[in-house]
Amino acid sequence: MGAGAFIQLVVTQATMLRRNVGFWLSSIIMAALSMAVFGWLFNPDTQPFDLALVDEDRTEASQSLMQAFDGLENVELKRGSQEDELESLEGGDRGAVVIVPSGFGADLGEGAASLVVYYDNSNPIRIGYVTSTVDAVVDNYNASVVGQTNAVTVDKQAVDTDNVRFIDFLTPGMVGMMIMWVNLGVGFLLVTWREQGILRRLGVTPLRPGSLIASQAVSFALISLTQTVIILGMGRLVFDVEVAGSYLWLALTVLLGVLAMLSVGYVIASLLKSVTSVNAVINLVAFPMIFLGGSYFPLDTPPVLNPLVNAIPLTHLNDALREVVNHSGGLGDLWLSWTVLAAWIVGGFVLSMRLFRWQ
Amino acid sequence: MSRVREHVASPAAGWTDEPGREVVLSVEGLTKRYGSLVAVDAISLDVRRGETFGMLGPNGAGKTTTLEMIEGLRKPDSGRITLLGLDAVRQRRAVQERIGVQLQSQALWPDLTVDETLRTFRALFRRKVSLEELLGRFALADKRRSLVKNLSGGQRQRLSVATALVNDPEVVFLDEPTTGLDPQARHSFWDLVRDMRRQEKTVMVTTHYMEEAEALCDRVAIMDHGRIMALDTPRQLVRGLAFDNTVECSFAEPVDRERLMALPEVRDARSEDGTHFLFTNDVSATLAGLMGITDDSGQRVQGLQVRTATLEDVFISLTGRRLRD
Repeated sequence: MGAGAFIQLVVTQATMLRRNVGFWLSSIIMAALSMAVFGWLFNPDTQPFDLALVDEDRTEASQSLMQAFDGLENVELKRGSQEDELESLEGGDRGAVVIVPSGFGADLGEGAASLVVYYDNSNPIRIGYVTSTVDAVVDNYNASVVGQTNAVTVDKQAVDTDNVRFIDFLTPGMVGMMIMWVNLGVGFLLVTWREQGILRRLGVTPLRPGSLIASQAVSFALISLTQTVIILGMGRLVFDVEVAGSYLWLALTVLLGVLAMLSVGYVIASLLKSVTSVNAVINLVAFPMIFLGGSYFPLDTPPVLNPLVNAIPLTHLNDALREVVNHSGGLGDLWLSWTVLAAWIVGGFVLSMRLFRWQ
Repeated sequence: MSRVREHVASPAAGWTDEPGREVVLSVEGLTKRYGSLVAVDAISLDVRRGETFGMLGPNGAGKTTTLEMIEGLRKPDSGRITLLGLDAVRQRRAVQERIGVQLQSQALWPDLTVDETLRTFRALFRRKVSLEELLGRFALADKRRSLVKNLSGGQRQRLSVATALVNDPEVVFLDEPTTGLDPQARHSFWDLVRDMRRQEKTVMVTTHYMEEAEALCDRVAIMDHGRIMALDTPRQLVRGLAFDNTVECSFAEPVDRERLMALPEVRDARSEDGTHFLFTNDVSATLAGLMGITDDSGQRVQGLQVRTATLEDVFISLTGRRLRD
């Protein structure tokens, strides 16, 4: 098949997908609504959290700093030993532990002291809020109590994900979810074509199944890239979500996600006959994937589920998207997710090419 | 009935089985089984260039399966298909470049326009007819920007045929092309087929309408249970019957076939669902005998129809069943 013919097939299919507004718009609306709900109405960033204060210094200065934390909204203060509180932090019961080290008072007397804050790094929902809360208290303390900016500095520990707000976490997850919905839909499309006799009709032309599938993949990739631009554009304009990493890595991740989800869609279409059963199976596959794959919330699944979570393609698509968008990740951070997606692509396409039937 | 006779006259009279004409399709011992069911049972036939060849039979006779094997959609269990000098099974794609197919269902994308549909099908072939020519020939030029889902049944039918001709095929296969069409659409479809014939295309068409086979086909293969029961021009098939006329009748009370067979000049009699078909060479003698039955026994005739023998009668006399209800 020549390039012109291939382009015509891509144009045809992209046109059909574009005209089928419900197909691509529903997932955009779902993503946009989720971002609006969590970005404005119910922002987990501002939910109460436990903040532990550990005074190792026990001087007048350290105690005055402790008092500066009193009366914070949305924060429940805890006090305890460093050992206990860090244990609680590891157990997920503290948003952060502020440690005033011994020698703090003496250092402050000399003009510069620092305190250490340990964050719950596994919970990106709170990190941004915790950071700004502690910073605000310390800034206020410097200004009103010491009367000197930067007298006390904050040493942020265990924070390699500085300032990831929930909306920053959610946006790439919504891109992953959209890619999943639209591209699993190829299964629905293919079975509809089979039911309408369109696949049989194509089967009596010289068209090869491989050319059909390749042109389909390109047109679905066009739709998914467009959706990604729309959602990331909305994130940027409305919620200030920045793409920290490379757009090339982002595009490659999207393409791998598209192909992985298409391959799952093709396998479903190859195994099932009726449109209704394909629809049911796609929903059955998609909904658990959205949650297990962590599109909305950070994963906190029981260890029993770990093999499943690590096997599903959406987990890795979301991970890779977040690496690029939130952490400006490079190849070193992306290769594992990419490899798993590639494995799905190869496995899915080999299987569906074997099972492919024109009728 | 008279209209049907007219249709019989035209193509059959025009067709002469010229031995010089090249055989474009040769089928030998073609067989397809589904489990214990033999869908197509070792059929053989030759089709010559320019011929319009019909396969007539009821649903399940094996017409579609035969066509699908020739088109490359199904693999035969045994037998050979030589189409345009190529092995239709092993050189499937080379054959598919040069044939046109209209399947039973009008397989069109509802969300594409007429233009886009034709462009897409054209892209699949090396040899292409120009878009303008197709739009003109199928009277779709003013509908070119309409979505397929907004077309009328007749327009959709024309578009469907147009997609089968985008590659200027040498052989065209039409699988029950007029099933479900209203009489007007059916007649305009027949004109399209006659157009193909004028363009020297070889056409193979399946149908369960005997009028269609009589109106369109140079030769007709009558199929039943996967076998070819008879194959000839429609005229010869009818002539080959041992009778000229059929008396179709039904009675208030059941009547034995033996009794009907004993009527004057009845060559054969078949019954289906209370309707009897009496094949005769002398209508008046047979009718007189029939009236005798009603006089003798007080039987009442409920329906009576006398007609010149048609392809349908060929089918009834071969199988004992009607083509369709």
